Amino acid sequence: MIGNDGRVPEAVRLWALRLFVMTRKELLQLRRDVPLLLFLLYSFSLSIYVSGAGISMQLNNASLLVHDSDHSESSRELIHRFRQPYFRFDGEVQDQKVGVRRLDQGTAMLLLDIPPRFHESIVGHEPVSVQLLVDTTNAPQGLSAAGYASRIIGEFSFDRVSSRLGGASDGDIRIPRVDSAHRVWFNQDQNETWFQSISHILRMITLFAFLLPAAALVREKEHGTVEQLLVSPVTPLQIMLSKVLAMTLVILAATALAMASVLKPVFDVPVKGSAALFFLMTALYSFTTAGLGLFAATITKNQAQVGMIALLVISPMLLLSGIATPFEAMPPWVQTLMALSPLRYFVDVTYGILLKGVGLELLWDSVLAMVLLGGTLFGLGMWRFRRQLA
Amino acid sequence: MNMRRTAAVARKEWKETVRDRLFLLMAFLLPGLWMVVFGYGLVLDVEHVPFAVLDRDQSSSSRDYLYRFIKSRYFDYRGSVREEREIDRLLGDTSIRMAIVVPERFEERLLAGRSVTVQTLLDGTFPLHADTAKGYVIAVNNSFTQELLTDFLTRTRGLVPGEAHRLTEPVSLETRYLYNEEVRSTWSMVPALIMFTLMVASPLLTALGVVREKETGSIYNIYSSTASKAEFLVGKLAPYFVISTINVAVLWMIAVWLFQVPFKGNIAVFFAASMLFVLCSIGIGLVISLLVRTQMAALIITIIIAMVPTLLFSGLLVPVSSLSPGAQVQAHLFPMMYYTAVVRGSFLKGLGLESMWTDVLALACFAVVLWLVAYGLFTKRPKA
Repeated sequence: MIGNDGRVPEAVRLWALRLFVMTRKELLQLRRDVPLLLFLLYSFSLSIYVSGAGISMQLNNASLLVHDSDHSESSRELIHRFRQPYFRFDGEVQDQKVGVRRLDQGTAMLLLDIPPRFHESIVGHEPVSVQLLVDTTNAPQGLSAAGYASRIIGEFSFDRVSSRLGGASDGDIRIPRVDSAHRVWFNQDQNETWFQSISHILRMITLFAFLLPAAALVREKEHGTVEQLLVSPVTPLQIMLSKVLAMTLVILAATALAMASVLKPVFDVPVKGSAALFFLMTALYSFTTAGLGLFAATITKNQAQVGMIALLVISPMLLLSGIATPFEAMPPWVQTLMALSPLRYFVDVTYGILLKGVGLELLWDSVLAMVLLGGTLFGLGMWRFRRQLA
Repeated sequence: MNMRRTAAVARKEWKETVRDRLFLLMAFLLPGLWMVVFGYGLVLDVEHVPFAVLDRDQSSSSRDYLYRFIKSRYFDYRGSVREEREIDRLLGDTSIRMAIVVPERFEERLLAGRSVTVQTLLDGTFPLHADTAKGYVIAVNNSFTQELLTDFLTRTRGLVPGEAHRLTEPVSLETRYLYNEEVRSTWSMVPALIMFTLMVASPLLTALGVVREKETGSIYNIYSSTASKAEFLVGKLAPYFVISTINVAVLWMIAVWLFQVPFKGNIAVFFAASMLFVLCSIGIGLVISLLVRTQMAALIITIIIAMVPTLLFSGLLVPVSSLSPGAQVQAHLFPMMYYTAVVRGSFLKGLGLESMWTDVLALACFAVVLWLVAYGLFTKRPKA
């Protein structure tokens, strides 16, 4: 691109200048939309705090009622083992029916029923079983609660076995046993605020990266200002590129704001990898998603239509790309379909850089996929846009 | 309020909506499509956790032990490695989410009646998945231990296996799952998705419909017409109310016929509550549309307002009773929570009005308040 005399040729300079002017126009136009700007600010600060601090998908404080027909030493010890943070003891009920009614109303999730002669049976070496009623209107939470409960009962039962066998063989306890030791990597304390706040940022970036450029382009079509642009010396490429550039800048600034105002100071989210790489990847992801948005803008006539398309495309992306549900557990056809979702790759990249501290040497395949997707989408959008203007 | 003028506004709005083919198609297609995609795709059960093993013992016991993980549907075996360094790389690359390390002398120690510690390395980026996987591992270890113990007692104390088994499990747990006896994810998701779908689609339609008039300036025709504030609002929103009502019926049919979710409750209560919820969601769209000037702002704000609290505070993913106190307060400020309770109560629990009247009443209050706010905000003589 550099001319023979070592200077940038006039044509290139002019091209860049026009792109710059157009980008500035987009930013100015966005600045005038005060409600939208305020909302952008809220989305990348307060709302991230709220979702990080408030949401926990892990079993937490599951409300437990007990119907204890034994009221013995053993039953009290067993109840005592159901404790925070997983369970919250919400009192005893005198009648199982009362407990079931509370489950109906949704004010309690579990009902533990301890039979009469519970203590006697244990002392008398007679097998005994306790009953647990679980509200499974929310299936995953119900299953998780049942899992914890069975762990607690298992341990309680095992403690009885070892004390019994220990008593029989003069203190020298010989019991074969497989113990579980866990080491959790990348987030030792399984701090869910990290996960929730980061995934919320991903949601916000996706929404804005798709909608801002798409709505900006459709608005020009709707108002007819696109014709004005056409008689000016800018090319269709500059029109589209300037929108992507402006909105990517806005999103980068908003992401930086979220990192500096909430993630680092409030939640102590570590940035184990390179921050520069993270922002570069965010820019790449915004570009890719913007490509998707612009493509959607070319097949629609007005902003209402773009809104509908956005809902059609974005909600499966947000829910199925692996930030809401475990990706591996989804049906194979969904996994195949989601290969087209740039968010699916950005999720790996973001968690990889921020929490795992890995770099491009491991993430290159995801990055390549985003580049290819972004390039293709942008190219397709460009092609359709040119044809429409012709 | 003059019915004739209201009907005229409604007719005008209906014509504008019908003329835009893509918009009309989406208004009806989107909700159904969502239900199908999410109902099939949104699986919240943690299954097929990809894992690798490092077997330092290489004995028949260790193979027997690891085989329990390999054949389980909860785990997905991705091969074995020879040193811990390889595990680092695989976890960093997200090729696996978990690794199991069986120590040396695994078999020898267990046969001698001693305890063995098996290390599990987990990827903690997704705390919920890590925690669930941990629970599965403990369950496998516990059942393996119990078999070992039964076996051990039979060998060392000369008990018959049945007797030994009774001795090893003095207390057992009997779990009964209520309302969703087979604990199917779809049964709990699909009814809640009716709420999600209505909550996102209806406000968007409404907000765009109103702001479109503001942006193109055609609202000045309304300002200068004889139609009163109430006549305009009711007439304008009637078509959206009709569309959403039809969608409630369609979504109900998808849930019951396609996903085979049982409907155990009272259908009249369900539809009445749904009407109220549609009024709420349209009211939310209306309030937003009166606060913003451009369709772009209306679009983005509506989607985020509709989607984020719905995903987080409605009880769709996390029960409201498990939220932190601050988040619980927020949950009560939106109508989604009450409607989710009604939907799940009607489908799975078979509840009637006597147990859900508070939720229905809350929905009615939200609808009234939102419409009053909208009425107050709308003015036929805007400044500037």
